[in-house]
Amino acid sequence: MANRRCFQTLTRCLQSIRTLTPISESLAPYTAPALNQTLAATSPNYIFANKFNAYQRAAVPARSFCSRHTDSDDDEEDDYDSGEEEEDYSENEENSSNLSAEEKEKEANEIGYTVLGPLQISDRVFKLYEPVFAVVQIGSHQFKVSNGDTIYTERLKHCDVNDKLVLNKVLMLGSLTQTIIGRPILPEAAVHAVVEEHALDAKVIIFKKKRRKNYRRTKGHRQELTKLRITDIQGIEKQENTMPLPPTKKEKAEKKVAMEA
Amino acid sequence: MSLRGVWQLKKLVVSFCDWGGSSRGIRAFMESELPAFIEKNPQLEVVTELNRGYHPLLKGFYKNKNERVVCVKNMTQEDVLQCASRLRNSQGRKVLKLKTRHVTKHPSVQGTWSTDLKIAN
Repeated sequence: MANRRCFQTLTRCLQSIRTLTPISESLAPYTAPALNQTLAATSPNYIFANKFNAYQRAAVPARSFCSRHTDSDDDEEDDYDSGEEEEDYSENEENSSNLSAEEKEKEANEIGYTVLGPLQISDRVFKLYEPVFAVVQIGSHQFKVSNGDTIYTERLKHCDVNDKLVLNKVLMLGSLTQTIIGRPILPEAAVHAVVEEHALDAKVIIFKKKRRKNYRRTKGHRQELTKLRITDIQGIEKQENTMPLPPTKKEKAEKKVAMEA
Repeated sequence: MSLRGVWQLKKLVVSFCDWGGSSRGIRAFMESELPAFIEKNPQLEVVTELNRGYHPLLKGFYKNKNERVVCVKNMTQEDVLQCASRLRNSQGRKVLKLKTRHVTKHPSVQGTWSTDLKIAN
């Protein structure tokens, strides 16, 4: 009924425009007090515009024959949706790359590593093998790691290729003579690594089928991985090589000379 | 990508078409984001090639003499940048399924465990 009333007034407005009669005259018996106020202030052109605005405010939303019950339901739904949207929006903001440096570091730390900085040409980071191992945790995966090893982890977000990292979640250290077990983490231990590659794994095809039900789905998936090369393990005494070195060429030559003489 | 500090991607060839609509994204990429990409990677040799009548391509030449060709037809600038970054971030290896996530030459430090190993207490 309200809709019908609104439509009637709208058509009347249109008619008044076409016939160029003052709108106030045609609408006098029907106008609400608020509309009267808007009418009084402005010029004929503006009256028309104001009229329309006022009517839009007064018009019922375009759902015909809506009862109070459904109105309240819609309101609740709207609130719920807006709440969800807000939450999603906030999550998206955090997920986007507009994190401050501190937040990035914090996230990285939680996963179990800290970014030190890009590798310089002058850094002699890649050493010979040392007989020391460490058990390191990144995210939810643990690796038993030694010098010069390669590890593939899930994509680490805040580091670029050729960056130095310190993996600070070390669960166990061991050398030839000593083993140090953490409860659960060793606080003073550190494992240095260098990011070698951010690449995609080979494609895995996920095939779903329900027989005799005409249901078949194929989906391809490539996991994003990071390749790390472990360069150094700190926190445990590394033994110096006590084995007798094989005689060098000079010493051999001297021996020969001594023998001949 | 870098192996022990040495960048593996030597050359990136950006081939596009002047006229075709599938090259729109890569043309926009060349105007807006390619200079920044070149500046960030001074070790990389980036060449732009005009290839009329063909879909746009990104070719990457790696140190292990491997070539990776990615067709970027009908992609937006951001997608093209992502493709270029992927080429730059990867080694030239063939994409195979990983056998293990931990590759090592010295698997044991204190000696490999066996059932007859007796630890002195």
